[in-house]
Amino acid sequence: MLRGGQALAYVIAEEHDDGSLLLAPEPVPGVRETVPAEDGRAAAVAVSDAAAILQVRDLTVAYGPKTAVDTVSFEIRRGEIFGLLGPNGAGKTSTLSAIEGLVKPQAGTILLDGIDSRRHPNQARARMGVQLQATSFQSELKISEIVRLYAGLYGVELSGQQIAEGLRAIGLEGEAHKPFKQLSGGQQQRLSLYIAVVHDPALLLLDEPTAGLDPQSRRQLWGRIEHIRREGGSILLTTHSMEEAQAVCDRVAIIDNGTLLTTETPHDLIEKHKDDPRVREVAHGKVTLEDVFIGLTGSEIRD
Amino acid sequence: MTSSRTVARPPNTGAGPPLRLVFSSLLRADFLVFLQHRRALIISMLLPVFVLISTSGSKATDKFGGAEFVIGLAIAYGLLSTSLIGYALTVARDREKGVFQRLRVTPAPTWTIMTSRLAMQALANLLIAIAVVIIGSLIHHISPSPGQYVLVLLVSILAGAVFLSLAQALVGLVKSADSVQAWARVLFAVLILLGLLGQSGALGAFWSSVARWTPVGVVMTLFAGVLNLHAWDSRDTLSLLACFGYIVVFAGIGIRWFQWDAR
Repeated sequence: MLRGGQALAYVIAEEHDDGSLLLAPEPVPGVRETVPAEDGRAAAVAVSDAAAILQVRDLTVAYGPKTAVDTVSFEIRRGEIFGLLGPNGAGKTSTLSAIEGLVKPQAGTILLDGIDSRRHPNQARARMGVQLQATSFQSELKISEIVRLYAGLYGVELSGQQIAEGLRAIGLEGEAHKPFKQLSGGQQQRLSLYIAVVHDPALLLLDEPTAGLDPQSRRQLWGRIEHIRREGGSILLTTHSMEEAQAVCDRVAIIDNGTLLTTETPHDLIEKHKDDPRVREVAHGKVTLEDVFIGLTGSEIRD
Repeated sequence: MTSSRTVARPPNTGAGPPLRLVFSSLLRADFLVFLQHRRALIISMLLPVFVLISTSGSKATDKFGGAEFVIGLAIAYGLLSTSLIGYALTVARDREKGVFQRLRVTPAPTWTIMTSRLAMQALANLLIAIAVVIIGSLIHHISPSPGQYVLVLLVSILAGAVFLSLAQALVGLVKSADSVQAWARVLFAVLILLGLLGQSGALGAFWSSVARWTPVGVVMTLFAGVLNLHAWDSRDTLSLLACFGYIVVFAGIGIRWFQWDAR
């Protein structure tokens, strides 16, 4: 279902003398595209950079006198899973809320697929799928009715059969007539993710998608997120699980006290900071992303 | 000849989903919720029916200024009940649960979210008004003409707007659902007591005058006015103006200070 907005991007594969062009889909930048190697085995190669799906520049969000996000800038490439990591109260959710249009930034620009989301919030929202940290749907509606409602809000008209097929695909075919609150935590997350991608968004925003899930549900959810990436989707997520971020994210940014500390691939981040005394102090054996994270943001507990 | 340069993408129109589909999806969902709440609608009819029955004697009816006033009072109570207790509480609870935040991250304009909800509340108001007029006419032996029924419907829309804007002001000024519930009960009790005791004259001339110009009082006067058009006077006209005044003030407060997030 998810096309990730890639159908709009083409390159000229061949330009003939008579002026005719042969167009081919533009490669998904930043994605480890699988191509056959000389010996016939698959090999992962990085493809070229291209326009970012999301550009955040000097974003500042304040709640009264408290600055939650302070001149944060980053960009997300097409087909990339980008992790925004930080302790509690670091500014992750505020950053996401600003991108989603839920809070009004004091300053900065947010360009989503070329659209200024501050000037055209509804058009920008039409291109993003969102899974909030705590999702709640109208308690009186059944699952199938919730799917129909949110599909419609994104401009997608689904028949009863299409809804049933969609719910079957996420293993909820037997729950179509139940209200949302009767689903288990894992089922709720699967439904929320399904609704977030029902309109084939160019960018998917996931705020702590695995929080409160058991290992099985978590593993299943990451499988679905990986699937979305393979289909060409771009994803911005926040998580407290450094292990998951290291395994899944193409790049991560660490934010603390509203300030972006660094943006790297998990591998480069570890390489760059593995000899930092603050990191060495907390590391036990081989340095992990969690060691780097704690080294950079401190060990004290945040509320 | 082969080239690898990138061609310009097709123009990004920036268009959101069709408004018709957005609005029909919201209306459909809110209608389903409305159907789920039909028991609450029936319960909100209990007070108006009680008022109609308890004032069925000619002496009691005269005390309130006639059958038309009694029916007006009963409709006003029904609308007040469904707006202040029903609408305000539902909005406050949905806000607290994060239902509005989830809707707001969709491309649906926020006015469509609220308009859809208000449309369902207007439907509830119409049903209550029609039911009370029919029951009241039977109990109090009056026979409104088809034209008067139409006028009653029009006034019930206006009266509904008065109480809905009052409810909107309440959820605009008070954030937590528990506090909204507490304030709604207090307001409901005060307006009911002012309506019953004030209009009957039991509290004296001053409170009778105050009661006449409360939201319940002006709405009741309007209903009585359209059910007895021959007796329409300047007080009815002033009540009509007062209704618009209440709508502007309460809706202004409710829109200005309303927050989609309870945090």
